Amino acid sequence: MGTDEHPNIRRARFEELARAELIEPLRRFLTRRTDPATADDVLSETLLVCWRRFDELPDDAPLPWAYGVARNCLANARRSRHRQERLAARVAAVAAPQEDPDPAGSRDVVLHEALGRLREDEAELLRLWAWEQLTPAEIATVLDVTPNAVSIRLLRAREKLKAEIGKFEAGAGHEQSEGGTR
Amino acid sequence: MTDRERDELFVRLRDADPSSSLPPADPAGVARLLEDAMSHDTMTETRGTGTRGRSPLTWLVAAAAVALIVAAGVFALLPRGGDQPSVASPDPTASDPTASEPTVTELTMPAAAAGRCMVPTAQMLGSAAYAFDGTVTGIDAGVVTLEVDRWYAGGESDLVQVDQASADLNALTLAPIFEAGGRFLVAGTEDGSVMVCGFSGPYTAELADLYTKAFAA
Repeated sequence: MGTDEHPNIRRARFEELARAELIEPLRRFLTRRTDPATADDVLSETLLVCWRRFDELPDDAPLPWAYGVARNCLANARRSRHRQERLAARVAAVAAPQEDPDPAGSRDVVLHEALGRLREDEAELLRLWAWEQLTPAEIATVLDVTPNAVSIRLLRAREKLKAEIGKFEAGAGHEQSEGGTR
Repeated sequence: MTDRERDELFVRLRDADPSSSLPPADPAGVARLLEDAMSHDTMTETRGTGTRGRSPLTWLVAAAAVALIVAAGVFALLPRGGDQPSVASPDPTASDPTASEPTVTELTMPAAAAGRCMVPTAQMLGSAAYAFDGTVTGIDAGVVTLEVDRWYAGGESDLVQVDQASADLNALTLAPIFEAGGRFLVAGTEDGSVMVCGFSGPYTAELADLYTKAFAA
């Protein structure tokens, strides 16, 4: 994009793009991964970065790129929160790190348990695939890796998730049958 | 039905999406978000990230450089709040010629002003002896240091030091309260006193327009 574009036109262009394609998906992206207050903070930080780096936003597919920005902003927010918590713990000698609240609105406890047992990068791949519903090429943009690597890791992550779910369900069945014999 | 829809694992994961019950954002909130994001204009942000990434060592070196210049310039300095704003320039023969050390202009906040504020005009502002666009790089013991991006009038130094305004002065005369990292437009009179009453303040497009108009010629 030309840098001699009139600032007002540039603003209007960004606003239209943000409203139509970025804000709603980014809100969902963050809601899936953190508590509401952090999600709000990180959303505004993400939009700020997108605005600042508007020229780098790919015209054809801005969203995966924006997810990548949100991911980094969220990681920063978590890091600084951990720092603050460590400091607060030292000062008050009361360590009470806040867990990310349980993902709301989902009743599939087994699935969330199983997802929680995967490595973070594997779980993130599955989230991007099923929740953001991205293609491997788009996931590759978010994570800044090659599409090929995404395809292979996604396949592996799926198998692991299935196996974890299997373990849980087998365990539940086992307990139930035990209960039945008593 | 897509391939994914036939995939049991995909469907199960998708159905467990924690954001499925998220209501759409309220329009006022979206408008505010966008306003906030875009109020950081590109120039400011470039500067912001430019300084944010600097290591503590860089700041230490910069602070040491400033201290050196202040020490070296002490003989040339008029007392703070004197009749002329003091400008300390490092003696070019005394310093390492390869090091470009910043120069400092000192301004003071006016004493609580008698009289009333007028609406700032470009014509009034044009009478300022000093006017610049700068970013606050540090606030120490009530003295604010700004790194000058652009001089509209008067100065040539790289840095400006100015007293932080009291809350009272701010309430009375709209004297700017400087914030670390903030971008400010500041004007000063012949005697080195900051022009208040809306002539100096946080960077906004309107105030920048006024500065451009005032110092166009």
